[in-house]
Amino acid sequence: MSELLEIKDLCKSYKHKNYWFNKKITTVLSPISFSVEAHQTLAIIGDTGSGKSTLAKILVGAEQASGGCIYLNGQALQNTSTSFKQRCQHIRMIFQDSGTTLNPSLTILQLLDEPLKLNTSFNEKKRIELIRTTLQKVGLLGDHMNFYPHMLSGGQKQRISLARAIILEPKVIILDEALASLDPSLRSQMINLLLDLQQQMGLAYILISHNLGIIRHFSDNIIVLSEGEIVESGVTREVMSKPKHKVTQKLLRNQGFQLNTKKA
Amino acid sequence: MNLLDIRNLSIELISDDKNIRAVDKVSLSMKEGEVRGLVGESGSGKSLLAQALVGVLNDKWHVHADRFHWRGIDLLRLSIEERKAVLSRDIAMIFQEPMACLDPTTSIGEQLIEAIDSSQLSGFFWQKHQQRQLAAIRLLHKVGIKDHKTCLKSYPHQLTEAFCQRVMIAMALARRPILLIADEPTAAMEITNEGQIFRLLASLNQLKNMAILLISHDIENITSWTNTITVMYSGQFVEAGTTSQIFSNPLHPYTRALVDSSPSANLHLPAKSRLKALPGSIPILQHLPIGCRLGPRCPRAHRACVVAPSVTNFHGHEVSCHFPLTSLKKPRSKAIKEVC
Repeated sequence: MSELLEIKDLCKSYKHKNYWFNKKITTVLSPISFSVEAHQTLAIIGDTGSGKSTLAKILVGAEQASGGCIYLNGQALQNTSTSFKQRCQHIRMIFQDSGTTLNPSLTILQLLDEPLKLNTSFNEKKRIELIRTTLQKVGLLGDHMNFYPHMLSGGQKQRISLARAIILEPKVIILDEALASLDPSLRSQMINLLLDLQQQMGLAYILISHNLGIIRHFSDNIIVLSEGEIVESGVTREVMSKPKHKVTQKLLRNQGFQLNTKKA
Repeated sequence: MNLLDIRNLSIELISDDKNIRAVDKVSLSMKEGEVRGLVGESGSGKSLLAQALVGVLNDKWHVHADRFHWRGIDLLRLSIEERKAVLSRDIAMIFQEPMACLDPTTSIGEQLIEAIDSSQLSGFFWQKHQQRQLAAIRLLHKVGIKDHKTCLKSYPHQLTEAFCQRVMIAMALARRPILLIADEPTAAMEITNEGQIFRLLASLNQLKNMAILLISHDIENITSWTNTITVMYSGQFVEAGTTSQIFSNPLHPYTRALVDSSPSANLHLPAKSRLKALPGSIPILQHLPIGCRLGPRCPRAHRACVVAPSVTNFHGHEVSCHFPLTSLKKPRSKAIKEVC
């Protein structure tokens, strides 16, 4: 199998327990299937409440799916503890606000040491060596490991969260609005860095974003979600130039409107 | 006549050993009914400038300017009370994060009614309550909220963010301001809601001829809504001009970088190629470089850049750089010759 990550009939629904007679079931994700290859970026777009964040949470293991399977390299991921460990080594996530996802009372060294301690059997010397090289990979200095998060700027913090994501050499990184809150010039730096790492390490990205400009530049394939269903999917360039579904057209128009007036 | 005319406004943070100049000689002018964008990265002092405009900075900040005129009135000569009266009558401000700005313990209706001042009301005291209610409903209709009954009764947490921002705009409109300062009105908002808020502001601008100062960190977001744009970097004035001037013909290396870094601006680039970006990040207040503060990051920095450049004006396109980019260089020297 060539696909790195394959998702088959994944679904998620919540039960409302307080109704005794008419039990209500809210479906967040109706069965969806897609696959991601190495060296590729998959973008997910959709309106609020379309289930894209839920999908990200299920993939990374923060929530359990109600049904369906996730295959990583052809192997099914179950929710047993060993598989969970394997999953968090291979699928990592970067969150939206890097300022609040870093523990302010730990140094960068301790922050990056945590995933290593939990997932590997390296000794201390090797761990520190690995942290140093990872920091250099994301464009920081090895000496930054003694800093606390508040001593770094916003862009540097985002780099630290990226370092925390790649330190276990994962195969898939999920970016949940990770680029939205950055300043434009820092965002360009970050995109360049992500693209470099993708080439070096063969990472697959799953990018959840509102900014269609970034998606157009960054992604190979795209999925459009609406109310838990995939309404359109395909190669980014084709979907962007010839949107077929109403939801896609609406999303594009919201930003395309700005693009058109700019040219005028 | 200019609505607002500020020359060389500086804002200093007073500390024990050394005063830190957070905003350094920024000029800003606005005409009536104009939509001006104020663009800069976070930490460039744009919010500080807006707060100085409405006079809500505390004693730690020291504001001084060469000229600070509001509709021909020199605000620097007025006493604090008089200045407050003028500013609160004519200028209104909306902040980012509308949820955090509204009082969570009071209903929207009460908060909105509080914002309506009694000078607008007429009649006897027993009629005033009714009039206030009506005024609040009218304000809600103005900002496009049709279901005023539930909105007035509900508390901020019951509404979505876009609705809260609409309520904030309604509050700002209560005194019929001439200038509305919108400090990142759509930060952390969904794209569809963002469009709604911008469209509302644009319609207010056209219907009521209200001037708007639109503050944003992303030049790409606001270009389709503004007439003119002022760019700031690290508390210094960078460039000002009409939107098309800034966007299609930026003169300052920083503006160039800002425009280049927005992915939808360079559609001609092949996908997955490297974007142009300035190295490094914005300096912190304790370690500001001397002269042009872009210096350490600037690709065109020369020796002369350790002295802060003065502002040069070219057909209303102002730029503050010793070595402005290309094309306008020749005409500029020509213009100087003509003047001579």
